[in-house]
Amino acid sequence: MLEINNQFTFLKSRVYATVLKSYFNGTLENDIDKIPFWIIGKDTDPSRCCIYKERAMIRYRILAFLGVNLEKDDDEIKPLSQFYREIQASKMKPLPVLTTISTACSACPKDQYIISDACRSCYARPCLANCPTNAIYFKNGKANIDQDKCIRCGKCQEVCPFNSILHIPVPCESSCPVDAIKKNANGFVEIDYKKCISCGKCSRSCPFGAIVERSAIFPVLEMLKSEDRVTAIIAPAIDGQFPGNLGQTKAALKLLGFDDVVEVSEGAQITSIKEAKELEERINRGDKLMSTSCCPAYVELVEKHLPNLKAIKSDTLSPMAYTAQLVKEKNPNDKIVFIGPCLAKRVEATKLKTIDGVITFNELASMFVAKEIDVKELVEDDLGNTGCFEDCREFAISEGATTCVLKRMEDSSIVKGYKINGLDRKVVKTLKVIDRIPSKGNFVEIMVCEGGCINGPGTIVKPKVALKLRNGNTQAIAKAMKRETFY
Amino acid sequence: MSKKVNIKICVGTSCFVQGGADLLLYNDFIDPEIIEKCEVEGTSCFNACKSSGKEGAPFVMINDIIYGDMTPVKLKKIVTEAFYARNK
Repeated sequence: MLEINNQFTFLKSRVYATVLKSYFNGTLENDIDKIPFWIIGKDTDPSRCCIYKERAMIRYRILAFLGVNLEKDDDEIKPLSQFYREIQASKMKPLPVLTTISTACSACPKDQYIISDACRSCYARPCLANCPTNAIYFKNGKANIDQDKCIRCGKCQEVCPFNSILHIPVPCESSCPVDAIKKNANGFVEIDYKKCISCGKCSRSCPFGAIVERSAIFPVLEMLKSEDRVTAIIAPAIDGQFPGNLGQTKAALKLLGFDDVVEVSEGAQITSIKEAKELEERINRGDKLMSTSCCPAYVELVEKHLPNLKAIKSDTLSPMAYTAQLVKEKNPNDKIVFIGPCLAKRVEATKLKTIDGVITFNELASMFVAKEIDVKELVEDDLGNTGCFEDCREFAISEGATTCVLKRMEDSSIVKGYKINGLDRKVVKTLKVIDRIPSKGNFVEIMVCEGGCINGPGTIVKPKVALKLRNGNTQAIAKAMKRETFY
Repeated sequence: MSKKVNIKICVGTSCFVQGGADLLLYNDFIDPEIIEKCEVEGTSCFNACKSSGKEGAPFVMINDIIYGDMTPVKLKKIVTEAFYARNK
C-alpha cells in the first residue's frame, strides 16, 4: 500500500476541502464547475500529460465526492452543477463503496519479473537452478525470463546475489486479498463487486488514484442543515487522528452542527460483554474455534468467500450496531451518523436499519478545514461518565478487542486467543482451511487492516502517529503492528 | 552550556492533515543528540496558511522563523543547521 502522505492524498483532501468550503458558503452549485480550474490553474506543473487531463481528473474526484457511481454514470457532457442538483433531488444507492476512474488508470502491464542489466551472467546461476518452471534462459550474456513459463513465484529474485531481478507488480491487483480486481478488454481496471469486500486496499495502493471511494458525505451535510437532531457516533480509532483530546474533538463536532456525540467505545463494551458470554457458551458446548465479528470487511469476507467460517464467526453485533441501539433507546428520533476509519462499515450500515450515514475521518478533517475549526484550540466538551468503557477504546488497535473480551469473562483461563492482523491472499488461503488444520487457539481476532482500525482507509495519520497521540509507548506500537501473536 | 533550539510544530487542522502529523515523529528522524537539546512543542495555527505566501502547509517555527512545505527531511536539515549555528 502507498505511504499515506503522497501527492494523491493531499490533492484529495484539497478537493474535499474546496468543495466543502463552497458548500458551507452556500455557493457550491455556482462554484462546482469552476473548482477544477481553481485547483489546476494555468501555471500548474502537470504530473499527467497536461493540465486539461488534470482538470478532468479533478472533475471525476468531485463526482466521487458527490457520491456518483462513476462506472454507471459517466456522462462527460453533463456539467458538475447538474450532477449536484440531481444528487440533491434523489437519494443515491450507497453501495458499492468503491468505484473506478478508467481514464485515470494507467493500464499497468501485468505482474511480472524482469532481469535488469545488473545481471552479471554469473557462473553459479542460482536463478536457473531454483526456477521451478525452467523459465530462465541465458542469451546475450545475461539471464532472461520466459514470461509464458514464469509463474511469478519470486524465487529467482530471492536467490540472485546481485539483486538484479525486479518484481513489477500491478499495485491494485496485488493488494486485493480476494482477487476482485480485473482488467477489461482495454486493460483498464474494473472491480468485480461480487467478490469485493470493500476493504479499500486497492484504492490505497493505486499510484494513479484510479480507484476511489464514493463519498456518502452529502446526505450527512443535508441532515446537519435540516431541523432533525443528528447524533455523531465516533469510532474508537478517532483518538489520535486529530490534535487535541477526545473532549475537544467532541466540541469540534458540535461546531459542525451535530447535536450530540457518543463514543462507539460505549457499544464496544456491550460487544465485549456479549462476546465474552458467547465465547464461554461456545467453549462449553465443545466449539473448537470462535472468531471476532467487529471488523465489517472480515464479515463481508466470510459472507462472500468463506462459508466455512459462518459457524465460527461470533453472532455478537459490532460496537457500531450496539452504540446505535443505545442512541435510539435514549432519543428514538435521532439521525445517527457513524464517523470512522472504515469503508466496509458502509456495507454494514446498509444492513442495519439504525444508521443514517457513514463518513470517514478523512472527510471529517476536510469539514474541519473548510470551516476553519482547529480542534486543539477548543474548550473540551464533557464526555460524561466514561469509566466503564474507557478500556474499549482499544478496540481500534489490533489485540484490543481480545483484551476487552477476555477481561469480561468469568474465567478467561479456558481461552487461548490469537490474532490475525491484516489480510492478504495468503491469510485468506489459511482461513479457507482454518477449521480443518490444527488450531492455534480457540479464539481468534481478525482485523482486515494491519494494526487494526487505526490503519483503516479513512484515517488521516500513520498508525505510528496515531499511537503516539494516543499516548502509546513504543512497546504498544510494536505490539500493534505485529503480524500474529499468541497470548 | 549549549543553547536550545526552539521548534514549534503547527498542529492546526489544516497543517496536521497535510503532512504535519508526521513531523510529530521527530524522534525518529532527527539525531537523538540534537533533539535532546531542542525544545519541541505542538502549537496552534501561526496564520501563515492564510497569508498568500509561496509556501503551503505544514508550517513549523524554528527559533522564531516560520518555514512552510515542511517535510521530515527538511525539518531535520533546518534543525541540525540551527543547532550547529548556536553551538559552534
